[in-house]
Amino acid sequence: MTNTILPSLNVPGRGRLACVGLGMTLGSHLTPLARSHIVQADVVFAALSDAIAEEWLKRMHPDVRSLQPYYAEGKPRIKTYREWVALMMAELRTGKRVCGVFYGHPGIFAWSPHKVIEQAHAEGYEAHMEPGISAEDSLYADLGFDPGRYGCQHFEASQLLYCERRIDPAGYLVLWQVGVIGNRSVGRFDAGLAYRALLVERLGQDYPLEHEVIIYRGATLPIERPRIQRITLRELAEVPLTAEETVVLPPAVTLQPNRAMLERLQTLDAREKEGAAA
Amino acid sequence: MTDTIELLEAIGSDASLRYASADILNGVLEQTHASAELMTAVAAGNGASLRVELGIQQVPQTPQSPTQLPGQEPDEEEEEEAPQSERCHSDHPSSLSFQ
Repeated sequence: MTNTILPSLNVPGRGRLACVGLGMTLGSHLTPLARSHIVQADVVFAALSDAIAEEWLKRMHPDVRSLQPYYAEGKPRIKTYREWVALMMAELRTGKRVCGVFYGHPGIFAWSPHKVIEQAHAEGYEAHMEPGISAEDSLYADLGFDPGRYGCQHFEASQLLYCERRIDPAGYLVLWQVGVIGNRSVGRFDAGLAYRALLVERLGQDYPLEHEVIIYRGATLPIERPRIQRITLRELAEVPLTAEETVVLPPAVTLQPNRAMLERLQTLDAREKEGAAA
Repeated sequence: MTDTIELLEAIGSDASLRYASADILNGVLEQTHASAELMTAVAAGNGASLRVELGIQQVPQTPQSPTQLPGQEPDEEEEEEAPQSERCHSDHPSSLSFQ
């Protein structure tokens, strides 16, 4: 929807930056405000998951510059992200209104939007982020669970290998980027399955190997349905996985009452009743 | 022939079309003179044929955040592989963002 009753305010010559999310599904998730940032920008940079979505973005603005070509085989991804930041900052410094468009939510599993906003602020520019509908948001809707019911932990999968982390099997566990675990460069992925086997071993400390694992991929085109595959934890070690697929482990144990805390709560309640009666 | 990107946007933003069955959706698209590739994509439930029509390749999705290396700020991350033993030694938490 476009605002037609108020004039837009633009301060010419003063650069301004917005990082916005396109959402996950073409045509379904773009917010009115994110669209407005795109339309009002002087230049738009795009880091999208689907080339068709990039074509759609080009219908909204005549100067859309894809960030995808900055990836290269064997090139550390962090180097690519730094280049993205430099590109956006260079345009901002010339006084342009710059819009960075990222798939899903621009602040989730995306390094450069946070970094470029931080840098823009440090140099005195107006800059902010507009949230978008993320893969996580789609996941709750498509898999039909509420993270508030049993709790839900999220980890970038590599972190479970590199760090001591506490997994709570009474809640949901969502693992991101399992398909590229241990991979820091585009195209370098030799150790993927070996790393994955270690991930399954780590998860086996908290879950039985026959525990259900859900492989999820949200729809990026509106003619698609989400892909939902149910396997066992054991099978996770060898099942083909792509970067865009997310791994979800449902709860394995029931919530246990915290008896000590419940007793203290009862004591507090009893005191309150006594106070009210006095 | 109606523009395929415009039709995709229309499908994605219309509550009656977004979850319509492939048969029903293709019936609607037929009346708009949609491309054969779009109708094939609807029937298949994926966009492979659209990439042929639009002349674009689907590149594998690449993560937009660095692999988590605890103990390092992402912008301090070494561009070469750090030794495994150095990947989780920090006394400060990572600053990487999460969902």
